[in-house]
Amino acid sequence: MVDALKDEAGGAAVVVLRGISKAFPGVLALDRVDLTVHAGEVHALTGENGSGKSTLARVINGSVQPDAGTIAIDGEERRIADPVAALKIGIVTITQELTLAPSLSVAENIFLGRLPRDRFRRVDWRTLRRQAREVLDRLDVHVDERRRVGELSVEGQQEVEIARAVSSGGRVLILDEATSALSGAATQRVLEIVEQQRASGVAVLMISHRLPEIYSAASRATVLRDGRLIDTVPLPETPEDQLVARMVGRALGDYYRKRHIELGPVVLDVFELASMDGRLRPTSLQVRRGEILGVAGLVGSGKAELGLALGGAIPCSGTVAVSGEPVAMGDPRSTLAGGIGFVPDDRKGSALLPTRSVSQNFSIAWSSMIARYGVIRIREELRAVNEAIERYGVVTASPSSRITTLSGGNQQKVVVGRIFALGVKVLVLSEPTRGIAVGAKSEIYRLMQDAADEGAGVIFISSELPELIGLADRLLVFFRGQVRGEFRRDELQEELIAQVALTGASPGQHTHKPIGEVG
Amino acid sequence: MSDVEPSAAQLRSRRASAARWLARVSLAPYTGVIVGLVIVCVFLTATQPVFLTWANFRSVIGANTVILILAVGETFVIISGGIDLSTASATTATGMVLGLALEHGWSLVPALLVTLTFGLVIGLANGLLITKVKISFLVVTLGALSIWQSFALIVDSGGSIAVFGVSAFTPIGDLVNNGIGPISLLMIFDVLLVLLAGGILRVTTFGRAVFAVGSNDEAARLNGVNVSGVLIGVYALAGLAAGVAAVISVGRLTAAASQSDPNLLLEVLAAVLIGGTSFSGGEGGIFGTVVGVLFLGAVQNGLILSSVSAFWQGTVSGIILILAVGLSALRNRGWKLRRGAPAVRTL
Repeated sequence: MVDALKDEAGGAAVVVLRGISKAFPGVLALDRVDLTVHAGEVHALTGENGSGKSTLARVINGSVQPDAGTIAIDGEERRIADPVAALKIGIVTITQELTLAPSLSVAENIFLGRLPRDRFRRVDWRTLRRQAREVLDRLDVHVDERRRVGELSVEGQQEVEIARAVSSGGRVLILDEATSALSGAATQRVLEIVEQQRASGVAVLMISHRLPEIYSAASRATVLRDGRLIDTVPLPETPEDQLVARMVGRALGDYYRKRHIELGPVVLDVFELASMDGRLRPTSLQVRRGEILGVAGLVGSGKAELGLALGGAIPCSGTVAVSGEPVAMGDPRSTLAGGIGFVPDDRKGSALLPTRSVSQNFSIAWSSMIARYGVIRIREELRAVNEAIERYGVVTASPSSRITTLSGGNQQKVVVGRIFALGVKVLVLSEPTRGIAVGAKSEIYRLMQDAADEGAGVIFISSELPELIGLADRLLVFFRGQVRGEFRRDELQEELIAQVALTGASPGQHTHKPIGEVG
Repeated sequence: MSDVEPSAAQLRSRRASAARWLARVSLAPYTGVIVGLVIVCVFLTATQPVFLTWANFRSVIGANTVILILAVGETFVIISGGIDLSTASATTATGMVLGLALEHGWSLVPALLVTLTFGLVIGLANGLLITKVKISFLVVTLGALSIWQSFALIVDSGGSIAVFGVSAFTPIGDLVNNGIGPISLLMIFDVLLVLLAGGILRVTTFGRAVFAVGSNDEAARLNGVNVSGVLIGVYALAGLAAGVAAVISVGRLTAAASQSDPNLLLEVLAAVLIGGTSFSGGEGGIFGTVVGVLFLGAVQNGLILSSVSAFWQGTVSGIILILAVGLSALRNRGWKLRRGAPAVRTL
């Protein structure tokens, strides 16, 4: 299959991997993997977390040395000692981790390490600015080259990161989950730049498990599973469900497994809730018991702030009642006590205790359950943690393992599970499946529906429309801090939702009026 | 890795599990220090006949109780992600308060209450400035270091207050010097202190919250931890520790000294860090701190027994601190390197 595709791909084979194997203690991360990336193609490398896709990328850019196999760049067999050596031969990697200097300007960051100098070896600021502007214009990035990078949004910073990478003139561009911290429009911008690079003959290897991205950018996809090469398939000819089936090793007929759950009375009543920073403008909504309320919108639309406000994470105004009882907002302790559980979108930054065990990551939220007079009943804690590990399907060597030894999906199960286990009446989940593997995603979907089944009202905030459409009983679309569209489950259509999210309105439509018939 | 006899395979798996055990033990943050402690003790036992005597052990404990008390308080602060630089000068200042109270004829209980309260208030002030006014803990405790040292000099115009012979002082002197048979009261006190502090840190919601705040304060907050309360609590504990340490210190010197021992702060911080508590917070424990204090104490004792000039003590403590923390960093990095290096297939 790989050979058959060579002609279609067009350009010369730039990267050719043969029989790459790599073992880490306890795992065979890569098992005799072959991969060919051509000039002028975007090649997607996909698979679940732990499938070995990132390890393969790191083999190509020299961060990891393979135990066996050969790497050929432009037909010449090479040993790539480290990332610096990779850069020298034109292999540029972009990851989601930003490597910018926040206190320097955009222009300085783009040319960091190769600043233009005048004849006295001083930095030639005028040339620097001009060249930076050229790079940014060429990529159509609208960022002022004089601004300090630290002042930019995450999206802006990622664009600068990419500008720096592509301006160094690489022939191979590796995007290792580079967009997983971005969403919506920002991802689109990145993909446009990728397309531009491809068209100019760069070989692009895109590591991602975001299917929409893969389909919109790549012409071929290589699927890895458990370190083995499963298949290389042409895109977009291969249907999505077939690709997913290859990733997870089984068919996912009904991936979301939406259950029918009877709706009960209103459990959450939000009136004119607004965040103090103005990103969430006065918003009123209700959620019923057993209901999953989806929340869509672009970055900056206020949907993230809705979650943060309900979780007590940010100061806000307005009133919120759970089962008719008013809840004091602005403090996570009172919102938790009031029965609202919140899972934030930033797992690393605001959910994990990276230096603590799986057990303590669970029990940090459970003092009321496992402690008496401020003293933790250790046996009770261990029992509860073991039960939670089992119930939420957390894969860990032991409860006392450090949380950071778990995969992202398993970390997320801990983060969701610890809130879930509190038996909250309202569960607010912000981007609960961001950056986790397909299998872990379906577990999170299951947990969410379990919560609804047990009578909780669920607010499911996400940037990925397919999962919202798959699970929501009702969907709100945010635009510029307000709800601009509401859809019933039978009206959910990706195009209509996207239209509201992008433009804010369909003609004549207002909050809480179905807009399904407009198109 | 081809065909192997079962016995060899068994042997290898046994060896592998032994290696895993060894790896785990050698990776525990305070293992290196325990090994160092044992080496120092063996060396001193061999070279100094006095070293391995009960009387010497008792004197080492006596000489290091102040450090232990302060280090226990400091352990809470450092695990929470902060640091208290004012602990030594707070001890001096509270010692002067105790000295003044005794000098003015106060009886024991009110004098002690005032002293401990004073220490607690110093800690509360630190904690409130850090959490409510949101000033960096470095700035607050550095300022406090200077203020309380100066305070100790101001209250008696730079003089130290001798309390020997003051009747209310007698019980304090007894606590520091007496014992039950061969066991000194300070040993009992130290053991109780360590058990209490270790218990608080490990099995109370407060202790867990201290770790959580040091590990990721935003995550702690979102899960219902009162972050400000925890931080005020740890600085208050450190202040209270300074108050307790002041009582012991006055007892040992039979006087309230108006000048802090310039090495005291370094030794306290060194003991905590050598004991494996991480400067970046979220990791560590009282047991490691005890080992750190014993290690520094044994080395100092060795220097004294070997009649090395006291001037060298600071040099030695400093080198040990850098070595211990540096080695643990190296060990962590080494562990990562090993994981990244070409490895034998283990599956």
